[in-house]
This record gives sequence, structure tokens and C-alpha cells, in this order.
Amino acid sequence: MVLPKRNSSRPPSSEGLRRSRSGGRVVAVTGASSFLGNNLVGLLEEDPTVSRVVAVDVRPPLTGARKTRYYEVDFTQPTAEARLSEIFSAESVETLVHLAFLASPSHKSALAHELESVGTRHVLFAARHADIRKVVMWSQTWLYGANPSNPNFLTEKHPLRADPTEPFFGDKLEAEVEMNRFAKTPRTVATTLRTAPILGPTVNNTVTRYLARRVVPMMMGFDPLVQFVHEVDAIAAFKLAIDRDCPGVFNIVGDGVLPLSTVVKLAGRLAVPVPHPIARSFTGALWLAQLVDGPSAFLPYLRFLCVADGAKAKAEMGFRPAYTTREAVLDYTSAQRLRDVKLLQENAA
Amino acid sequence: MKSKPKTAAAGPKKTAAAPAKKTAAKSRAKVAPKVAPRPASAARRKKVPSLLAGTRPRASEPPASEPPPSVQLGEASPPRIEETGSRVSTTDRASSPQVVAQMRELEAQLDRLIERASHPDLSELDEEDVDEAPAPAPAPAPEVRARAPEEEEPAPLSELPVPSGPGREPLSIPYARPSGPLPSQVAPVSERAVFDTARELLSTDFYLRKWGRLAMRNRSEEVDDFGYDPIYDEKVRPALDFLYTKYFRIEASGVDRIPAAGRCLLVANHSGTVPLDGVMIKTAVRREHPAHRHVRWLTEDFIYHFPYLGGAMNRLGAVRACQENAERLLANDELVAVFPEGVKGIGKLFAQRYRLQRFGRGGFIKLGLRTSTPIVPVAVVGAEETNPLLFRIEHLAKIVGLPYVPVTPTFPLLGPAGLLPAPTKWKMIFGEPIDFSSYGPEAADDELLVGKLAERVRANIQGMLDREIGSRKSVFFG
Repeated sequence: MVLPKRNSSRPPSSEGLRRSRSGGRVVAVTGASSFLGNNLVGLLEEDPTVSRVVAVDVRPPLTGARKTRYYEVDFTQPTAEARLSEIFSAESVETLVHLAFLASPSHKSALAHELESVGTRHVLFAARHADIRKVVMWSQTWLYGANPSNPNFLTEKHPLRADPTEPFFGDKLEAEVEMNRFAKTPRTVATTLRTAPILGPTVNNTVTRYLARRVVPMMMGFDPLVQFVHEVDAIAAFKLAIDRDCPGVFNIVGDGVLPLSTVVKLAGRLAVPVPHPIARSFTGALWLAQLVDGPSAFLPYLRFLCVADGAKAKAEMGFRPAYTTREAVLDYTSAQRLRDVKLLQENAA
Repeated sequence: MKSKPKTAAAGPKKTAAAPAKKTAAKSRAKVAPKVAPRPASAARRKKVPSLLAGTRPRASEPPASEPPPSVQLGEASPPRIEETGSRVSTTDRASSPQVVAQMRELEAQLDRLIERASHPDLSELDEEDVDEAPAPAPAPAPEVRARAPEEEEPAPLSELPVPSGPGREPLSIPYARPSGPLPSQVAPVSERAVFDTARELLSTDFYLRKWGRLAMRNRSEEVDDFGYDPIYDEKVRPALDFLYTKYFRIEASGVDRIPAAGRCLLVANHSGTVPLDGVMIKTAVRREHPAHRHVRWLTEDFIYHFPYLGGAMNRLGAVRACQENAERLLANDELVAVFPEGVKGIGKLFAQRYRLQRFGRGGFIKLGLRTSTPIVPVAVVGAEETNPLLFRIEHLAKIVGLPYVPVTPTFPLLGPAGLLPAPTKWKMIFGEPIDFSSYGPEAADDELLVGKLAERVRANIQGMLDREIGSRKSVFFG
């Protein structure tokens, strides 16, 4: 696959220069040792049109091979921006995939803020300095927020109403704001992919840990429809965004929805209904004691709808999820059962 | 030498889509000697190392180094299953029965494992030929991921000729415990230990899973975009039919004015402190309409704030009322019932019964204009007397998340039982369809016109109500 030519409305910029000498594309991946980063680096390694993969993280990606060049950059350092623009210019990076976000809430909220909010700022400034043509950023549909007044399917135009006081959402919201600002830069393609919660046999995040419990807490009397995207589809979406030019924001979701109780039952777990006023007061304490996976800002997602509409990604990106929500749950479950009886060990990724 | 037939038994069982687990497990001892053919295909042989890789860190195939998901992605790159098996994989998109079949298979394998664990004599046997131990659960991650090929497996397996001597050798290699000192060095966790863990954990997990399966009997595994659950609907149907025929003795007229297919908006008066009219309109159309169409009705937000109500209503076909949802439903050519009065309709005091409230801001008219949908006005008579509302307590209700706390002759007095609707006699009149499509979709932006059309529909329904109430002799007997 050669460079997409559909971008003809934009000036060709320095595309010729951006190609490396061997003629392939140079793709930089920040957060390269995260789940998405690891898999994306592996995928880009296999792609013959990519000549080099510039992996930026604090740990080298496990999947890096011949084409990958790893740079250790800590986004929480003030020098990150200068370092990044140096790297991007030296490697003449054409496409930047920004995946350096936390997949699950962290107790180190100051560090998380530096990494996600300020880190995104560093990355995007460096991208502007190095004149990078395309930036693809990871975001999540969780940022729409769970609210009883949500329509059943949230489109990309819907305001992001997640709780900004919770650092996990607040930092990502700020990152989206940064991205919006960056998108106004002329001659750039800015793509934001908002993935639904990712589920699959190898991924490890808040949702998989929630469903991995023997006894899964649910809010008494509430059974919202939920939606997942399979890990394979999520990675495929990023590959698609790298290969094609699709500026804008896209929801990356699996087809179909399921009531949360059905998901818990398909996962073979026991749902324990907890009255939500009690849950709200206890979760804060349990979170501080590091006994639960998320702070109480996650509880609305167990009560209300937060389901996004993937129609735009289908129409404009040509993204076709291979797994429905239900299939993603079943795929996760089949791996999780083996993990339960210690017949399958956790992947390092 | 029991092990060989036993692993063989696992093969043919796999071919059956859903083996009866109990019988399979019980008759395993009997089956074992009988089953001679041993479909030790290359696929099966090769699956094992990757399973062992989980338990032995330094097994031949390191599992973690490669990102499994990357495999299915590339259009060009061959799916991973090519590595683990000789089968051709077309992992595009397995339909649900295939997935179910695979789940069943996985379950059967786990059951076999449990069966083994619960038999003391068999666990002794483990020590003799441990090589067999991992065999019952040959479902490592890569195999799980590639679902589609599983269904293609049976045919080739059964057709495979019984492998001859050389074919047997490699099968035992991956799990054979070599006679030398190797295993103790290589595997820090012996298979025996893994097996013990498996026995412990599976015993609880097994029942939890059974519990889960039991819990699924009342619900579908798949719901539509708005959460409608056909199996749940089926379960509740007798109760709704009872309400329809015996309790409210509903007489519906003009149901056949609803088109047999295509999008249509039913606009009705809203009533009852406990709004049953949506469910009853749905039941009426299902029972009386020649095409037995399925009605989706739009409900107020507050039921989603309130425990239990939202989930149950969703499963029966209710959808939260908002422009986006309604447009999506109509785009799917559904039959949608709306109550433009909204919460004000439910909260009508007894003295105001059958006096239609303001029809919102004419959202349903905009909807009808934009999607050029015919509108069928519906008058529901009788529902407004089921829970005669005397007062509304509004400030208290804010705390509970309700629009108001109703006070009826029975409600706070008799506790929750006071909310039971009175057995009034209901009548439902479906009016002539009104077609606004001549105005064109642009008219939806004309607020004045929208208001006028909304008023026309309101007057239409009010007229039907007045006519019906005028001819009614008794609230309870019609």
C-alpha cells in the first residue's frame, strides 16, 4: 500500500521528503510498550510499506524487531518535548500514533496527569515542530460519560461529559482538547480514535479485571446496555487510521450491545447487586485502600448508558469490526477460564 | 496404556457439536477401550506445546513474545491458526452458532478435566503417564482466538485415516516427561501441581458456571440495539395477556389502520401514575394487528434513574425518549409509540383526567416531518382511572430521582401494594393515519407550522377521547 493519495485537497507538503531513503513510511508510536503499542509495533513490523517504526516509551516494546528503533523518553520530564522533536526530526517521522495513556486508573494521579495531559501537549508540540503530517491519538468512549440522558447511541458530535474531577477522565479530556487544538494546524491529518472498552483474550485493563472477579459487583436495580470492542478490532482500527487519511474523531466500537448482567453471566460470574448509594460511599474508601480497581467515578458506568455509535468509522474509515460485543465477551471468557485454572498464563504484554 | 484411547476419545467428542457432558463423562471409562480411531492430526499435536508453554516457562514455544492479535489483522498476513494447525482458516466472522459450538466444546473439555480430578484412581494414573494430563484442555489462547476453523475441524478429523506408528510418536513428545532430570529443571511447576490447582479451582468455578447458565435461561444472549430481549418478552407475555384480556378487558378498535409494514408513529395520550399504556399498546398491536407488529414505545428519562424499572422496560421494547433514538428507530422502519405529553401526562391529577396536556414542543411532529412518517393518533380510555392521582409531592421526589411522588387514595397508605392499578375497563381507539409528508422534511424547522400540526394531532386525539367518554357508562364495565 502506497501513501494514500486521496488527500489531494491538501497541499502535498513535504511528503517526498518524509519518506525514508528505502521508500517506505516512518511511523512513530508513543506508548509503544502498552498493549495497543506492542501489537501495533508488531503489525507495522510486518507491513512492507513501513520502512521504520520509531518506538517511544519508557520500556522497549516486546514486539520490536528489525525495523523498530526504540527511544526511551519519559513524558513526565520537562525535557520531553525537545527530545521528542529531536527524535521526530532525525527520523523524519511521517505518522505519529499517540498511545501513551493509562488504560486503567492509577493512584499516582500527579504522574498520570504529567503523562496524559502534559505528555500529550509535549507530543503534539513536538509533532508540530517536526512537521509531522499525521497524528493518530487514542481516546475512549468512556469520555462521553454515563448519563441517564444519553441517547442510546452517542455520536462523535456529542459533548464529552465524563466526570472531569476524576483524573482518569480529566487528563484524557485535556488530551482531547490539546488534540482539537492540534487538528487546526494546516496540512496535518489529526485522527482521534475513541475506542469502546477493549475486551479480548490477551488484553488486561479495568474491564477485564472487573470481569475476572469471581463475584462481580453490580448496582442494584441497574442493568445498563454495554458495548465492547475486541482487541483485534481496536488494533485494526489504528492500522486503518495509519494507512488511510481520515481526519476527525471516530468511535471504534463493536456491533451490538448487551445488558451488563448478560455480560457477567456470559463470563460465568456471579453478579452481586449493591445499592448504589452504599457503593458510592464505600468505593472511595476501597479505592484509597487499593482494594478495588477503580474510584467511584466509574460507578455511573454500571448504572447508565454509555454506548457509542460506530457508524461514522464504518462510513468514512471503512472500519468493519470482526467481532460483535457478544463475541468479544465470549472470546475473552474462553481465555479467562483457562487463566482461572492457571492453564494459561498472562501474556507479558 | 489407558491414556492413548482416552485422548482418542477426546477427539471424536470434539466433533460432536454439543456432547452430552454427563453421559460423556460417565461413559468415558466404557468408551475408552472401544474407541479405536485416534485422530491425532497435526493440528492436535501441535496445539499441545503452546498449552504447555503456559505452565513451563522455557517450553519450546514462548507464548508471550508474539502479540497474538496482530495475526488476524493484516489482510495479507496469514492468520495464526496456520501455525498451530494445518487447517485452512477463514476467520472472517463466525456466526453465533459457531461460537456457541466452540464454547460447548471448551466446556466439555473442562468437564473431562473435572471428571479426572474427582476420580482418585485416575489421579494416581497421572503419576504414571502425566503426559496425558494437559490433554483434556487443549485450548490455548491462539486456538481460542481463531474461532471459525473450529467448525471446519470435525469433517477433516473424522475423515482422517488412523495415523500409523510415526503419527503416534510426536503426539506423546510434547507432554512426555523425559526420563532424565530435565523436567525438574525446566518446569518449576510440575503438571501435578497444576493439576491440583485445576481441581481445586474448577470445582467452584464449575458450579458458578452452571449457575450462570441457569441464569441465562430467562434472557437472550443477544439483544437488539435498544436492548429488546425476545426471550424475556416471551416469558412476560402471559402476564401481559392476562392484563390485556382479563384485568383491563381491553377493546381495541381500528388497529388495522396501522400499516402492515414500514415506519409509523403512534401518538397517544399518556396516563396512569404507573404508566402501563405503553406496554398495553404494544400488547394490543401484537394481538390484534393482522401483521402482529412489534411496537417500540418511547419512555420518559426518569424510569432510567429508578432501579429495576429501566432494565425491565428496555427488555420489553421501551426506548428512552429522545430525538436521536426515535430517528434511529424510524430509520429501521419500526412502529414507534410516543406519548407527547410526557411526564406531565402521567402526573395529571384525577380532576384533569382525559384533558390532554401540552404536546411538548412538537418533537414528534418534527420527527414525523423529517422522516416523512405517517402518524396514527391513539386514544386510550380507562387508563387514566387506574391510579387516581390526588396530589403530587414534588420537592421530596427530587431526592429519589422521580419527577414527583404520587399520592393516590391507596398509595402511601397501603405501601407499594397501593400502586396496583384498579381493574378499569380500557378502550383503545386507533384513528385514521395522518400524513404530513406533503410539507416536506424542511418544514421540520418551521416552528410555527410544527406547533400548528402538533395542535391538530392533539385536537384529533382529544376528540376521540371525548367521544368515547361521552358514550361510556361505567368506569369499570365500559
